[in-house]
Amino acid sequence: MPEQPLDYFLADKPGAQPTHSLITEASQTLRRNRNEYLATLGNEQIIFKLAEVANLWRSPDYPLRQIALDADPEETGFPREVLAAGLDACFADWTQEKFFMLLTQEFGDPTRLQSFASQPNRTYSMVNSPQLIAHIAPGNLPVPVFQSIAFGLLLRSAQFVKCASGKSLLPRLFGHSLHFVEPGMAAALEIAEWDGGNESLESALFAEADCVTVNGGDKTVESIRQRLPLAKRLAGYGHRVSFGYVEKQANEVMGTQTVISHAADDIVAWNQHGCLSPHVIYVEENGSLNPARFAEMLAGELEARNETMPRGPISTKESAAISTARRFYKIRSANNAGAALWESEDSTDWTVVHEDERQFQTSPLNRFIFVKPIEHIDEVLHVLEPIRQSVSTVGLAASEARMRDLALPLARWGVPRICPLGQMQRPPLAWRHDGRPPLGELIRWADLETA
Amino acid sequence: MTNFTSLTEACDAVRSFIQLCVDDPHAAGFGELALDLFAFQFAHNTAFANLCQAENLTPETVGDWRDIPTVQTRAFKALDLTVLPEADRETLFRSSGTTQVDRSRHFHCAETLSVYHASLRPWFAGHLVDESANRLLFLLPELAQAPESSLVHMMDSVAKRLAKREHCFAADCQWRIDGQAAVDFLHDCTTQNEPVTILGTAFSFVHLLDHLNADAMDFQLPSGSAAMETGGYKGRSREMPRTKLHQAITTKLGVASGRIICEYGMCELSSQAYDGKLGQANTAPRLFRFPPWARARVVSPETLADVELDQVGLLQVVDLANAGSVLSLQTEDLARRHADGFELLNRAELSESRGCSLMNLIHA
Repeated sequence: MPEQPLDYFLADKPGAQPTHSLITEASQTLRRNRNEYLATLGNEQIIFKLAEVANLWRSPDYPLRQIALDADPEETGFPREVLAAGLDACFADWTQEKFFMLLTQEFGDPTRLQSFASQPNRTYSMVNSPQLIAHIAPGNLPVPVFQSIAFGLLLRSAQFVKCASGKSLLPRLFGHSLHFVEPGMAAALEIAEWDGGNESLESALFAEADCVTVNGGDKTVESIRQRLPLAKRLAGYGHRVSFGYVEKQANEVMGTQTVISHAADDIVAWNQHGCLSPHVIYVEENGSLNPARFAEMLAGELEARNETMPRGPISTKESAAISTARRFYKIRSANNAGAALWESEDSTDWTVVHEDERQFQTSPLNRFIFVKPIEHIDEVLHVLEPIRQSVSTVGLAASEARMRDLALPLARWGVPRICPLGQMQRPPLAWRHDGRPPLGELIRWADLETA
Repeated sequence: MTNFTSLTEACDAVRSFIQLCVDDPHAAGFGELALDLFAFQFAHNTAFANLCQAENLTPETVGDWRDIPTVQTRAFKALDLTVLPEADRETLFRSSGTTQVDRSRHFHCAETLSVYHASLRPWFAGHLVDESANRLLFLLPELAQAPESSLVHMMDSVAKRLAKREHCFAADCQWRIDGQAAVDFLHDCTTQNEPVTILGTAFSFVHLLDHLNADAMDFQLPSGSAAMETGGYKGRSREMPRTKLHQAITTKLGVASGRIICEYGMCELSSQAYDGKLGQANTAPRLFRFPPWARARVVSPETLADVELDQVGLLQVVDLANAGSVLSLQTEDLARRHADGFELLNRAELSESRGCSLMNLIHA
């Protein structure tokens, strides 16, 4: 790749402040570019290019990947090792086969993206994609932005990605790799940054877009919902929480160290900064692996992980939240008041709290995990009833047979995603975010009824 | 080293030290008294002693007051952190909160309350009393209406100490402002041309200002009038940035900006900090200072060691006036360390979290 300054997207220009008219103009250009090129491409061409982009990102010496890994963690949100592992996990799944599986999952027949295909009831249907999608990107993780852009390309939609101020580096680097691989596709993509809630800029964007996706806090989603004209589609994803669940015989089937290691995988992935990361791991009582012992072993594992994949520095505010929680549990632990604490020395790098109280607890994150004993899956559902609407993912450690037994009540209760412990932050490409169809959510159908 | 044999002895020693500091702010003896109190609390406060033993920081091993184990203020919600036997827990200070479990409990008896009063009065007087013999408008309930509030307790003590001055408590047991009573009192101050000091929480000031706005009313209170505002909204009113709130107090009430003083206190402490003195020009940033018998430290949340000057960290307070509970506390507040005080960081600025969670849903 030639050495050249990264100057293509609005967000590449330091100090450039977007305006209402600039956004309108940019959106119209994107739509025009899309009509001229992207909209004319076949599934194979788009998927081939996406897989090529992913290949580049998986390569350790890819210059844009190196820029990402060398960047100040303040800018990316993550230290080198954590970011590298997260990028690898994301792009490993971006294969041509998996993209086609996604299209099949969403549309039955991928050709429906380009023409009518028949349905069993003698009608024909095809996908009506949005011409322009506006993405309001989350500030915490980069992967959802990459996925949103890929999904938009699969739909042949022009896309305008709005990042929070100072948070556009990783989306931009991804955009540049696309530009390098296929400039025609990147011509239908714009990336800009401004502080969310700017009504003048956002009204320009919302007026132009056919569909808006939002990843962020519930307040952000709600505020955009209120400002969006009724005819526009909104795919809003607010904050969710996740937890792990260790069945009492899991350690006998899988080996204790494997279970512990899987739990640690989920805690160190993206330093817990994502809706899919666990706050609590429930461990069934009355098995051969005692929940307190599990917590102690997990502490040892997190200490070891911190050697190979350091958590890295965090903000004073985040560190204060951990310190505060630690001091609170420390004195409870010393008084045998239903809690025990394991913590890294002279840093807040990792913390494990074993607490008898079964209530779900939000963690201060950054490798702070609660381990709680639980009698049975039904007890979890009972104590989590107050947050039923907010659960995203449950990571299960259990034999395959037990996994199905446990999944049924969880699914019936309303958990949209159940996966093996250790995979919580590695959802498959085609996963249904909050239980909703990833592409189906963005499109309309066109039906042709024949005589 | 003195081994206190009773709470009376410990309280007497603290009161004497406070008096010493009132006479001479640089009086020596803080560290020694802190260690004596530590030994006393270690011997009589079981929950605290268990923490000390777990950390291997006991009167045997600790030789510097800075090494006395700190107790997180939140621990007052979960444990009885007191030297008082159950029968002697005559008074209870509770933090505000919606349910019983998320409210701190700080126990007092007549002796510890007398230390509380000895601590609060001179520092209050030093910051909020000057030559202007202001009337007092408390935007707070009376003590009988809110006996478990340390702030109400404090203001009751202030009202008693300044008994010759006319005063008014203008809120009910639910902390709702009696707007009419407040307005009548302010109106009377204006017509009589008697300056007034208005004291209340940030949210009670917002309530008062809203009341004035609703009636399109404002006051130009007599010169010498002042305000004492203590932080915290606790969801009881819309939140206003502190500078905006102070501007509104100046424009709607006519209190000069230099005569608005902020207080920092909590039910787990027995001493308070102020960010300015009446009659003394305030400089920006406004720095809070505790009295000499309570020392604030700003520590790194990572290592719990003191941060450098101008750095931000968690605020810890070693308050000798906490004779009957625990003297060394770690707050949940972030502060910037200065040579002669600390700058409190706006809590609102700190509330946004980077991660994905439901912080407003459940708190530890």
